[in-house]
Amino acid sequence: MNEILLSNEVIVYLLSETVLYLLLFIAFISTLGLLRKWNFDAFTTEQFALENRSYLVMTIIFFVMLLKVVLLPYFVYTIDNLSNLIPGAMCGAGVVKANEYGNPLLSLKIIILFLSGLWLSMNSIDLKEKSYPYLKLKSWFFILIFLLLSSEFILDILYFTHIETTNPVSCCSVIFGQTGGGNGLPFGLDILKLLILFYLLFALVVLTTLSDLAVMSIIASLLFGVIAYYAVVYFFGTYIYELPTHLCPFCMLQDHYYYVGYLLWGLLMLGVFLTIDAAVMQSFFKQPSKSLKRISLLLLSLFVLLCSAYVTVYYLKNGVFL
Amino acid sequence: MMIRVEGINKIFNEGTPQAFEALKSIDLEVAKGETMILSGVSGSGKSTLLSLIAALDKPSSGKIVVEGELISKLPDLHASAYRAKSIGFIFQHFNLLESLSVEENVIAPLINSGFDIVSIKQMAAKSMQSAAISHKASQQVKELSGGEKQRCAIARALVHEPELIICDEPTANLDRENSLKFIEILQSLHQRGKTIIVATHDPLFETLPFVSKVVHMEDGSIV
Amino acid sequence: MPSRILMNNAFLHFLTLLLFKQKGKHIGAVLISVIIIFLLSSVLFISSSLQNTLLGTLENQSDFTLSRVQAGKAINTPSDWLDKVLEINGISKVAPRVYGRYFFTPREKSFLVVGVDLFDEQSSKELQSLVKGLDLKSFLSTDSMLVGEGVKAFLSEHYYKDSFSFKTPQGSFKKVKIQQTLPSQTNLIANDMIIMSIDLAREVFGLGEDEVTDITFNVPNDAEWDNIIGKLHLLFYDVRVVEKREIRKAYENLYNYKGGLFLILYLVAMVTFMLILYQRYSMVYSTERKEIGILRAVGWSIKDILKLKFYETAVVVLVSFVLGVALAYLYVFIWDAPLLSQIFLGGANLPNQVEFVPVLEFGLLGSIFLFYAIPFLAAVLIPAWKIAVTPPKEAML
Repeated sequence: MNEILLSNEVIVYLLSETVLYLLLFIAFISTLGLLRKWNFDAFTTEQFALENRSYLVMTIIFFVMLLKVVLLPYFVYTIDNLSNLIPGAMCGAGVVKANEYGNPLLSLKIIILFLSGLWLSMNSIDLKEKSYPYLKLKSWFFILIFLLLSSEFILDILYFTHIETTNPVSCCSVIFGQTGGGNGLPFGLDILKLLILFYLLFALVVLTTLSDLAVMSIIASLLFGVIAYYAVVYFFGTYIYELPTHLCPFCMLQDHYYYVGYLLWGLLMLGVFLTIDAAVMQSFFKQPSKSLKRISLLLLSLFVLLCSAYVTVYYLKNGVFL
Repeated sequence: MMIRVEGINKIFNEGTPQAFEALKSIDLEVAKGETMILSGVSGSGKSTLLSLIAALDKPSSGKIVVEGELISKLPDLHASAYRAKSIGFIFQHFNLLESLSVEENVIAPLINSGFDIVSIKQMAAKSMQSAAISHKASQQVKELSGGEKQRCAIARALVHEPELIICDEPTANLDRENSLKFIEILQSLHQRGKTIIVATHDPLFETLPFVSKVVHMEDGSIV
Repeated sequence: MPSRILMNNAFLHFLTLLLFKQKGKHIGAVLISVIIIFLLSSVLFISSSLQNTLLGTLENQSDFTLSRVQAGKAINTPSDWLDKVLEINGISKVAPRVYGRYFFTPREKSFLVVGVDLFDEQSSKELQSLVKGLDLKSFLSTDSMLVGEGVKAFLSEHYYKDSFSFKTPQGSFKKVKIQQTLPSQTNLIANDMIIMSIDLAREVFGLGEDEVTDITFNVPNDAEWDNIIGKLHLLFYDVRVVEKREIRKAYENLYNYKGGLFLILYLVAMVTFMLILYQRYSMVYSTERKEIGILRAVGWSIKDILKLKFYETAVVVLVSFVLGVALAYLYVFIWDAPLLSQIFLGGANLPNQVEFVPVLEFGLLGSIFLFYAIPFLAAVLIPAWKIAVTPPKEAML
């Protein structure tokens, strides 16, 4: 455990998370104060001070979220580096599986980013109004996010303190692939059906977003996100690695694949997030945003293009599919 | 600019032993294009009232409506937008950024307006010209004389072409010659249809032909 | 979208104005930041460069080293083991080695004496490429050795200018000529090393014809590794097999450990710095408060002021970071880190001076940046907010 905790990246990562958590805690306490005493119609100095306080909360959340967006790839980078110290791990996948906290931690991080992004959108809409109509809603929402953030912080510590360098872990081909036995795909899908679903859902997302069917587009983009993950790991990834048995979401983040993984997953996550954001803002807050929708669709299209490109290029180079 | 002040009270340090009632139940109306003088000694509440109208501060109770919009309770984002768009405030002590030049002071209000820097500089040039301070555009404010600083403050207050001009004791730190020049500028602004409110105890203002209303204040109330 | 970029244009213009006119405000923070980043980066650059070099040399080594043990300690290995090892399938490039530590006088400095089989083509080729211009013939004709810079310096100090007499275990003296000094690029590993022919090394250490220190070999197919180790243990009951990958892991652990320890100590310095920063930026000098009040009065919102403060701080952070890292790069890779390098190399057997091989990894830079920027920005956030919410009227008075 010591070698893990003393590796540069882990120290920097944990330090950053701690500093950010401290700031968030301050925001949390302030939010509690806001919830208790907020009264927009009062003209007291206390109320004016509360308005100023709310600016502290939103500044902290904005700053922290910005940094968490940077820390997520850094976390992945840290994990990837740790694979040198853990027997059996060739990439991040093995390290994540080193104990039972890895997967929940990673998923939680992504969820938190999504929710924080929604919070910030909600905040900018609230500011545009003249009476802070969403203040209470915002505050409760942040309390929820803070609970998740606390869990994340605890999981961070638990995860890194429980990585054993003496227990070998499985490599990605075992975790994801056929060598481990059984089909990793959900709902008993096979590759063909997965691909059809992938492209269909993409079209659905585009259609529902362009025709302003907000709730539908939320569902469609969430589904697309999930299916896209499987599609990348079980199909498109193999074309990146040019090996039909290499199934792994982490290896493509390494330098021999030109770090394309960061781009790929980044495009997917940002695209899905922006689609959901635009839809939520439109349906719940009546604030449609054409440009937001356009950007999100652009990102998702780039993602789909990138995936398909790897397959096409391979086919053109070699004349066959894997 | 239709300004309606209704039942405005302002108490400083409310709830403490040092509580001080600066404004007591003020009712006031200013029509568009009017020039109004607020006269009274220091401490009568003139400056406080001005800062409330300019949304620089919030009242303890009552309301202020400007052009149909309730500005007494605006959140910060809107209050600053209101100031940036509709108000040109000329402060008693000029309140210029001493370390910057005249031009840099004049462009300050427009930085977040959405205009590009070229247009902003053009607007600043125009404003500096009408305030007769263009020749000192690149000079640092701390090297200017009182009258020049006043003109820089005027240029800054007018750069975004606001409809409402508010002046707090504008001639208190000027000699007679510069005071008269200032009054000239006010007159031309009046002729352009701007609404002007001046808080002053300078007798020069009381007999001006273009002044449509003089309101006396004493001890936080209108008399 | 276009107007947003243009708006940034005006904003950035104003920001640059303010930064230039208020340089003095930030100089202190920049100075201390640059020193902190410089120190941190230098240490990390040295550490990672050393690690790279060591791991690089390790790559060229054989996969396995096999030696005989007695009572848990390695002892001389019989040369006839070589044939037995050669017989095992899947093993290639088997080579015997003779080497050891020669102590100048008991409890004094030692040299690492390495015997090289000069009749082996591979070895002599490697040697010649290492030491350019080596006259192999004269090296072979007389008893000669190649010495590392540290050895050369040490021997000169002790008045051994051209040759040195080794005292063999038998009690006799063997005079060996100093042929050449090893190039300084090898200093990291070869500083206290002496290279001589394998038979000469045998003489110096009193090894018989039938003995070697250990045997190295390669196993190209890594699936076979565990298999072969098993076979070797069956073949000789008193053998120890060391894998290169274990050594590699040990090195990496060492550097991780040392690097990490350093970072933790550094944390203390950082915390102090952050506290100072917080204090400094909290001391809302009345002039700054007045200036922000003026901006607020002419229509700047709290958001605008926060944006201004954020960008201001970002510039300070970036400038300090770039300066600090650039200086560290110069210091470590151009000037070879005088003083600081001794922390890593000092206390070694013989005094050493190493040229550091430039290694620049984005991950390393990213870590340094995060380590510095996040606490910095966090420390400044609350003071910045406090000043941004200055009520415009109050600051005017």
